[in-house]
Amino acid sequence: MNNLVLGKYIPLDSIMHRLDPRAKLVALILMIVAIFVPKSWYVFLVIGIILVVEILLAKLNFKYVLSSVKPMMFMMVFLLIINVLTLKTGDLLVKLGPVEIYADALFNTLFVVTRLLLMIMVTTTLTATTKPLDLTLGIEHLLKPLQVIKFPTHEIAMMISIALRFIPTIIEETMRIMDAQKSRGVDFENGKLSEKIGAILSLIIPLFSVAFERAYELADAMEARGYVPGAERTRYHVLKFEVRDYIYLFLNIVVMGLSIASRFVL
Amino acid sequence: MPISFKELSYVYDLGMPYAHKALDDINLDIQEGKITAVIGETGSGKSTLVEHLNALLLPTSGRLEILDHEIVANQKHRFLKQLRKEVGLVFQFSEHQLFEETIIKDVMFGPKNFGFTEEECKKKAVEALKLVGIGPEYYEISPLELSGGQKRRVAIAGILAINPQVIVLDEPTAGLDPVGGKEIINLFIGLNKKLNKTIIIVTHDNEMVYNYCDNTIVLAKGKVEYSGLTLDLFNNKELVDKLKLLEPQIVSLKNELRENGFKVSDNIRTINEVVEEISRQVR
Amino acid sequence: MSFIEVKNVSFSYSETNNAIDDVSFNIEKGTYTTIIGHNGSGKSTIAKLIAGLLTPKAGEIFIEGVKVCEENMPTIRKKLGIVFQNPDNQFIGSTVKDDIAFGLENRRVEPSKMDDIILEYASKVGLTGLLDKEPQNMSGGQKQRVAIAGVLAMQPNVIIFDEATSMLDPKARKEIKTFMYDLSKNPDFTIVSITHDIEEVLQSEECIVLNNGKLFMQDKPENVFKHPEELRKINLDIPFIELVKEAFAKKKIKVNADNIEGVVKQLCQYRSKN
Repeated sequence: MNNLVLGKYIPLDSIMHRLDPRAKLVALILMIVAIFVPKSWYVFLVIGIILVVEILLAKLNFKYVLSSVKPMMFMMVFLLIINVLTLKTGDLLVKLGPVEIYADALFNTLFVVTRLLLMIMVTTTLTATTKPLDLTLGIEHLLKPLQVIKFPTHEIAMMISIALRFIPTIIEETMRIMDAQKSRGVDFENGKLSEKIGAILSLIIPLFSVAFERAYELADAMEARGYVPGAERTRYHVLKFEVRDYIYLFLNIVVMGLSIASRFVL
Repeated sequence: MPISFKELSYVYDLGMPYAHKALDDINLDIQEGKITAVIGETGSGKSTLVEHLNALLLPTSGRLEILDHEIVANQKHRFLKQLRKEVGLVFQFSEHQLFEETIIKDVMFGPKNFGFTEEECKKKAVEALKLVGIGPEYYEISPLELSGGQKRRVAIAGILAINPQVIVLDEPTAGLDPVGGKEIINLFIGLNKKLNKTIIIVTHDNEMVYNYCDNTIVLAKGKVEYSGLTLDLFNNKELVDKLKLLEPQIVSLKNELRENGFKVSDNIRTINEVVEEISRQVR
Repeated sequence: MSFIEVKNVSFSYSETNNAIDDVSFNIEKGTYTTIIGHNGSGKSTIAKLIAGLLTPKAGEIFIEGVKVCEENMPTIRKKLGIVFQNPDNQFIGSTVKDDIAFGLENRRVEPSKMDDIILEYASKVGLTGLLDKEPQNMSGGQKQRVAIAGVLAMQPNVIIFDEATSMLDPKARKEIKTFMYDLSKNPDFTIVSITHDIEEVLQSEECIVLNNGKLFMQDKPENVFKHPEELRKINLDIPFIELVKEAFAKKKIKVNADNIEGVVKQLCQYRSKN
């Protein structure tokens, strides 16, 4: 579980790390639109170059960003198989017995895969350069307008940040309970389906009961330190929009604009 | 045949930039049929060491001989489940592993996993619950309704029901009140004396170690600093100071008495024994 | 008027039996009081009642004359801080400084002033270099010190420690106990500590013993331990030195010092007399 790359923050000091999380979140949305809209490979090339520049600016390791794509490999192969089996337009490229591969199937898949790859890599760049807590704070600020319709943005942000805080604790707990049940003869890897279900239950039930215990104690601790849901609080972390954030947003708007325009021009 | 660690090392997150060597070239024998304490500061590798005993962790290098098995680094072993039947590990805060809807079912869970029939499981569970002092009136209620100390005892019964020859305890009294803790320790001493079980206890409680444990292993930073008789360790003041161990109060009393010209035998462990010897000398 | 007044308080978690049964006691300003009792004696419940985390079924609790109840909670919260048993389950922020800031945020402290306050209290508990540490990379003792800093930063005048050292190793336990002792020397702080640790009871000024939800005894610690037989009856631990004295008493040898050195000295006198 430690190898999960997607969503992991890499503590470095770079201009990308220093950008305001709100700017980065909005930029992510703009970029996703820019990746989704075009029908041309040229636009992907341009976005790819921008992405490389961003990764360089963030001082991230390319290998690291690429490794975030790994969990998606299966899906991409699956997509290819479906496309090969269903799309029968364009030139016939290869004929392997009953399987005929047409050009459109191949290019369509490649196009969709590239689109997905770019999206995952853009998202990874964001999460690798932004602390989870800052992300939460950014989301909270961006959702502020929803407070008008009584949407509990602050409570939701508090929930997310507590969830993030407890992920490592819960992972550790999971490992411990697994070890305890293994000592009682549970085999988590092998066995019949019914045995597997039993094994999972012996993990899930204790995990939940411990999590509830934690939740009650945490609630007491929060209350004792003066937390009242919905009450006005100040925030230790103050977000500040700097000139660089405006520039970054402006550049992203340009990219999205060009990408949309490409649909009509190219 | 003793349990032997031979040149055993264990590295967490091997190959990662944050890899961490938790055990470093451990050579160690643990005698069967005895009570052995494993002590050392938090992070010294105590838990890592005992998790090798039932193969929850496999050595990064070196090997471990236990009962009739040999675990060698980087080899596949088919006997791990058998080993877990013979070596029972009671975790810290073991009550967290309870999950069945009734106490009796929870204690039967272990034997069931090791392939015993429903009837055998029930018999084993009843025996184990009797050992830990949980009566039949509790069998059909949910473990969640018990107090903390009772839950701990049910969890321990869950391991005892498997009837392991070697019982490993990781801080079995943590979080219990002193009297509840003493009951648990007495239970395991009884198992050692009556059924000749090998008991290995990871603990911070040096008073308990001095009172009840035949042998003691001291770990520091993943290395063995001492392995031998408990009395030889704590009666050697220089060694206790060198290893920065907390001196048991009974030892402090014995040392103070000696410094003031009283004769105190090396091999006595309890207050009553000390008082017995001294009272003869002051009269 | 005492600083904390508990008057005829009862509380139950279930219909059938009372976890706290008609308990009354007073705690004076600036004292260090320990509350002991076996598991299930009601000692943690009484801590939660004083802190207003539970509401009594009957009776009243006052802190500096202010009744602990729903509408007075804002005032009570300002007066009282509580450090819990499990170091993990009270670490709310994702780093040390975020956690100390949590209470300040609730108190609506200006964000610009927070850094100074955080630094001040972090240094009080020796965490100056660890401000950016995350809880999963810290020891239990360190996390417990963060909890204390978080409470101190709220400037309460009474701090409740609810078995705050019971999950720590002996070294960390000793550190926290020493810290509590030093804190108790400050007359501005009233300290109430729920504990199993006999050594800690001996360093306190006053001891309350609970048994099955009832007040069993309230006295100076040295007086409480003068009755080992009664304590044993209610499943409580007895300090080593008291056990030694008791064993000698059975041999008709009377020693009454409070530490090992004193006892041995008396034994020497005994020897030279005979």
